[in-house]
Amino acid sequence: MILIVNTTTDTSITDEIREALASGNALFSTAGAKSAGKDASSAASGFEIVEAGTMRISYCVGCNECWLKTPGICALKDDYEEILKKLIHADQMWLITETALGFVDHKGKNIIDRMIPLATMNLQFKGKQMRHIPRYKQRTDVGIIYRGDADRSFLERWNQRVTLNLHSHSLGVFPVTEKKEAIACMH
Amino acid sequence: MHALIINGSPRIKKYSNTDKILSKFTEGMKESGATWEQYEVSDRQQWDTMRDAFFRSEHILIALPLFFECIPGLLLEFLETLPVPEKLSTPNPEKLSDPMCEKHCNNDTKIEFSASAPTLSFLLQGGFSEGIQLRCCEAYLEILAERLGCRYGGTLVKGDNFGIRFDESQRERVTTPYQKMGSIYGRDGELTDEECRKFTGPEVFPAYIRMLVGVLFKTVVKKGFMKMAADWGCDRPLDDRPYES
Repeated sequence: MILIVNTTTDTSITDEIREALASGNALFSTAGAKSAGKDASSAASGFEIVEAGTMRISYCVGCNECWLKTPGICALKDDYEEILKKLIHADQMWLITETALGFVDHKGKNIIDRMIPLATMNLQFKGKQMRHIPRYKQRTDVGIIYRGDADRSFLERWNQRVTLNLHSHSLGVFPVTEKKEAIACMH
Repeated sequence: MHALIINGSPRIKKYSNTDKILSKFTEGMKESGATWEQYEVSDRQQWDTMRDAFFRSEHILIALPLFFECIPGLLLEFLETLPVPEKLSTPNPEKLSDPMCEKHCNNDTKIEFSASAPTLSFLLQGGFSEGIQLRCCEAYLEILAERLGCRYGGTLVKGDNFGIRFDESQRERVTTPYQKMGSIYGRDGELTDEECRKFTGPEVFPAYIRMLVGVLFKTVVKKGFMKMAADWGCDRPLDDRPYES
């Protein structure tokens, strides 16, 4: 399943994605041809769009309860739980976000910060670095579509690190002007 | 030297590891004859005061915990309330043509510092021990200083701080070394000294340490986490999968 989380209040991008994914068999075959080993039929598992721009989603307070008190469950009771429940079935998550100070804005960052319940407290070495052991089997690759000015090369680097922690892969970071390229990766 | 210190942790002061580190760090600053005022991002009531202080300070230190490879969402939210410097606020044509992009286009307040651009330094702390874990965020902090129109005064980078909250004896051992770093900051008004660079410790551990620590993770460390969880009243396994149906 492809999960698209839009933290902006502009739904025109998600409208376009919905249209492309719902009707775009041609698009899938193009995209499918590009990705080695994955056939276009994986698109049949579908997609879900979450309009998070108007949802009530707090910042992560760093309380550690999702690791040590109620493993896997966030102590903050707000609209993020809906996203967390979808994430554990998502092969891809696309974050659509505004930018600030060369980076994603706080609403976009909060979506990533709140993914912490997907990891357990327990540690292991992966390659040369310590990592938290993932809670679920599902691996979710992450891509970013951003609107506004940002330091693209830093965002690339950051998303590589984000997905290293999720034991998954970066799908790339795309300014909204390149949304078609991003959509081509949604399969 | 007088510094504005912003604790960028979203945890309230009482539970903030960053605050415990700052306690030692500022003791060191005192030794060097420096003074400071400290504010907490976790307390929104302090945001207006912090913002005012930002524009009249020559030396600013933002201390922060690593949150998912970059700065915590709440600190970012605060920083977004600072007006952007003039040279970066010029709207680009793409934004102008986008009527939904009010937030970025209508920000015509210009940053006005009382004197020259302040020196913005950072104290970046995290849970993982290796220096390499903090480098991505460190790279952003340099970008951030520029975006805020400040001179970048370096970042003190240090991991292995998870234990501060859970173990009184660990707390002293872990936080005490920050005192010396504070004395350097009090002396220099920045954190670019060679001593600060060395403070990080190893970028990664050698293979034999990784093997040893890997074994500890599965035994002693795991047990330690289970004990912490039990102390918090946790009655589920730490690798529970509550949303799996």
